[in-house]
Amino acid sequence: MDAELLELQKQFESAQQAKSSIRLSERNVVELVQKLHELHIIDFDLLHTVSGKEYITPEQLRHEMVLEIKKLGRVSLIDLVDITGVDLYHVENQAHRVVSDDPNGLMLIQGEIISQSYWDNVAEEINERLQECSQISLAEIAASLNVGSEFVSSMLDARLGTLVKGRLEGGQLYTPAYVARVSAMVRGAARGVTVPTNLSALWGALQQLLQAMDGAGGVATESSFFQSLFNELVKEGEVLGSLRAGVHWTPTVFAIAQRECVDSFFSQNSFISYDSLQKLGISQPVQFLQSRYAEGIPLVTAFVHPSMIEMLDAAVEDAIERGSWIDSLSVLPTSFGSEDASKILLHCDSVQSALKGNKGMILGDSYVFSNGFIKDVYDRMEKEMEVFRLSGPSGVIPSDDSHLVTEAKIRIDSSRSGEVNETVNEKRKKKGKSSGSRTADIVIDDEEIIPMKSKKNQRKGKEASSALSDIKKGAKKDLAKMQEDDLNIPSEDWIMQKILILVPDFEEQGLEDLQTILGPLANHMRPMLINSLKEKRKMLFTENVVKMKHLLDNLQKKLDEVCTVMIAYDCQFIIYIQYFDILVIECYVQCAFLAFLNMQLYEKALDLFEDDQSTSVVLHRHLLRTMAASIGDMLFHNLDMRNKLKNGIKVEESPNSESITLGSAERTSLVKSFPGSLSKKALAVVEALEGKGQSRVVLMWLGVEGLDYTLLACNTSLVLSLSLSDVAGGSIHDFAQRGGRGEVVFGLVLKKLDKKLERTLLHSYRKDLTAQVSAETDPVALLPKVVSLLYIQVHSKALQAPGRAISVAVSRLKDKLDESAYKILTEYQTATVTLLSLVSASTGDEEDCTSDRILSKRELLENLMPALKGLVLGTTQS
Amino acid sequence: MEGWDPNTKSTLTQIPLLTTKAGPRDGAAWTTRLKEEYKALIAYTQMNKSNDNDWFRISAANSEGTRWTGKCWYVHNLLKYEFDLQFDIPVTYPSTAPELELPQLDGKTQKMYRGGKICLTVHFKPLWAKNSPRFGIAHALCLGLAPWLAAEVPILVDSGMIKHKDDATSTSES
Repeated sequence: MDAELLELQKQFESAQQAKSSIRLSERNVVELVQKLHELHIIDFDLLHTVSGKEYITPEQLRHEMVLEIKKLGRVSLIDLVDITGVDLYHVENQAHRVVSDDPNGLMLIQGEIISQSYWDNVAEEINERLQECSQISLAEIAASLNVGSEFVSSMLDARLGTLVKGRLEGGQLYTPAYVARVSAMVRGAARGVTVPTNLSALWGALQQLLQAMDGAGGVATESSFFQSLFNELVKEGEVLGSLRAGVHWTPTVFAIAQRECVDSFFSQNSFISYDSLQKLGISQPVQFLQSRYAEGIPLVTAFVHPSMIEMLDAAVEDAIERGSWIDSLSVLPTSFGSEDASKILLHCDSVQSALKGNKGMILGDSYVFSNGFIKDVYDRMEKEMEVFRLSGPSGVIPSDDSHLVTEAKIRIDSSRSGEVNETVNEKRKKKGKSSGSRTADIVIDDEEIIPMKSKKNQRKGKEASSALSDIKKGAKKDLAKMQEDDLNIPSEDWIMQKILILVPDFEEQGLEDLQTILGPLANHMRPMLINSLKEKRKMLFTENVVKMKHLLDNLQKKLDEVCTVMIAYDCQFIIYIQYFDILVIECYVQCAFLAFLNMQLYEKALDLFEDDQSTSVVLHRHLLRTMAASIGDMLFHNLDMRNKLKNGIKVEESPNSESITLGSAERTSLVKSFPGSLSKKALAVVEALEGKGQSRVVLMWLGVEGLDYTLLACNTSLVLSLSLSDVAGGSIHDFAQRGGRGEVVFGLVLKKLDKKLERTLLHSYRKDLTAQVSAETDPVALLPKVVSLLYIQVHSKALQAPGRAISVAVSRLKDKLDESAYKILTEYQTATVTLLSLVSASTGDEEDCTSDRILSKRELLENLMPALKGLVLGTTQS
Repeated sequence: MEGWDPNTKSTLTQIPLLTTKAGPRDGAAWTTRLKEEYKALIAYTQMNKSNDNDWFRISAANSEGTRWTGKCWYVHNLLKYEFDLQFDIPVTYPSTAPELELPQLDGKTQKMYRGGKICLTVHFKPLWAKNSPRFGIAHALCLGLAPWLAAEVPILVDSGMIKHKDDATSTSES
């Protein structure tokens, strides 16, 4: 066995015997340390490192931190965590202790520990930069240092003037030289400003200037910097003025100038308008003035000195005492508005006392009227109103107005020229259309200025008719309303015109003022006028109602004789007493009806003469002329009266409505006054009455048409035209037949004369005639009546014969009467004829023998009269 | 070298490799080989000691150095389980790996041939063959016995097949 092997064996042996090194696991170590803690062998805190493999004592940690801080000057705790490898929590705790141990040297800010030496360094750096740039913004520094700008400023505050040679202003650092330069600029600008200025605008300008000087690289200077510089200057008294709200700079120079200006104006004029103050730059003029002039009075647009009020007071007092009026604006300066005037008037003692004492009133803000004046005008106006009422409301000036009136009217018309005329014309055009009788507007204008009676009538008629239709439409409306509509209350314009005419003073005011002054005055007076007008109308109205009733009664009486007949048909004519106008219409209807019946009655008698053409014609014409004309006249008259009543115009009631006989001229004028188409038709009728031919029948239609116009304003035209065309080609007979067929015309049933009715009619007629004959004393007039009576007795037909036809009529009776009676009749007739021929032949010469002959003839006739009467009456009795 | 835990691997690489290819019958060459074996064992033992991982004691039972005896142990749950270790150097050594025997555990586990020879992992043989003749006794212990002990002892202890000697005495006493 070799030695080497043995050696190795020994080595191996020893290696195996050697003590193996002991290794502890980490866990065992941790447990050991814990055990040591438990056993209080380690009696101080131990901190773990983040890796968990190291323990560190707080002292050591602190020591390491302090070392680090000293090395860097500024360390964030996060960084310390990395450096020391200890949890942030412990690092923070220790950081607090470190800082509290050395409060002067260290500070803990936003997770960073910063030493004073670091700040010193920073300040030095800043200073260097500042000296280069002449200004740095704090924000910039703060951003570069990653700290709050507030902190930076607090830090810099401590070092300003020592380490940092500069000045801190509104977040900017400036070098003294820079500050001096800018402050010089500010001073210059502030001194240059002479009017109130918004400083920020000024600073804006300065900023631009600075930037231009610094070039593109220049930093924008904060306006607050200017402001603080400026404030300093103001404090030092280098710039004079007052600062409001921090930005409104009012230089002393300006304030002085302003005050002087206001003072001088106010003392010179004793008023000053707010406008002018505003122009001077005083934004709250009232407060300004009130604080300066305690005794002054603020108005709406101006501020006045009491002396102004005294002046006005005197003027107003004067006006009131004189019983006149005054426009306060004329006394006050021109810049015063009407509101000012009203306000200042309230300050006047005289006005107050006048208002209290009811001696005067303020109208339209600025006008003061004494009550005396108003009363005067009102009285005159009331008189005017009478005229107005009579003349109608459309502004026609009655003829009894003075020349001045006409003139003024023309003047006003011409001054308002086109538009007024136009409107008026338009109105008239409308009316013109409806009336159809007008053609040219020019003519109307002329007529207007030269009042014409007939024209007036026409107008009246028109008004009335329109009013009529109004009433018809609004029949259900209450009466007052109807009146209101009817009255055509005077317009303000009209009142104004009137006032203008009555008080020519107002003219002096010029047109524009005219409106402003007259408007309120007219407004004031209008209700009073209307009231009085209404009252008067009411009075007249009631009066008229009574009259109307009276009139109707008369009509009724007049119709009494036929009423017995009519009663049979009365069911169709229910009389509405409340609506008297309708009553009138009813009367028309009755009249027309009666006329129609009579016409038929008489027409029957004409049958007797059918063989004798000439006599027939004569009789025919006579019938129309006497009966129809009187009926027509009656209708016309009633229509007219009614229109007048409607218009509230007084009607002189004719004492005896039976005796309405109109001359042809009168008839024409009356007819012309009727409204619209009625007038036209009526004219035709009148013509027909005077003319010849069959168109006379129109008369009948007139009566009906009158009804139509009032009753059936709407849908008559068709029926009317139809009937008119019929009538044109027809005759009485034709018409009577039409009526007899029971045609419904305008809601009325015109019945044919039946036997019964005829008999009654005849009976009454006969009775009438008998009475007349027995009462008759005039021998001439007796004859026709006797003849008529005889006709009734013989033929039982009513005859209306003119004188010319009497002989024929008498000869016709020849067969029917006995010899003696016929003889008496013929004798009487011839005697009458001779008498009449004598009378007509007589020249009125007294010497002539004709009068004797007339007398003798008359005596003869009178002698014959009893015989004649006996002839008739006897038979009647028998 | 896959199939081995990293500790084993690192340890294995630190054991010095052998160079001489000689078996017990090769005379002087065997002696040389035996010297190298010793050096490797010394290095391995020192390595274990420095790592506080000492786990066996062996010594040559004859002068030729063909039979080795000793002890090996394993610490489980803070208890040290110690077993007898013995093996012979086969004639075909180093082509054939020595068969390690733990006679005390014979019949107690399935991972063992009759006579207490431990069953090595499938990875052992190819590895050994590949590294022959550079692997020696130290390598065989490191690659074979150490992993076997680590794997089998806890199972054996848990199943109650083996008991700690203190327990055994206490139970025997009781």
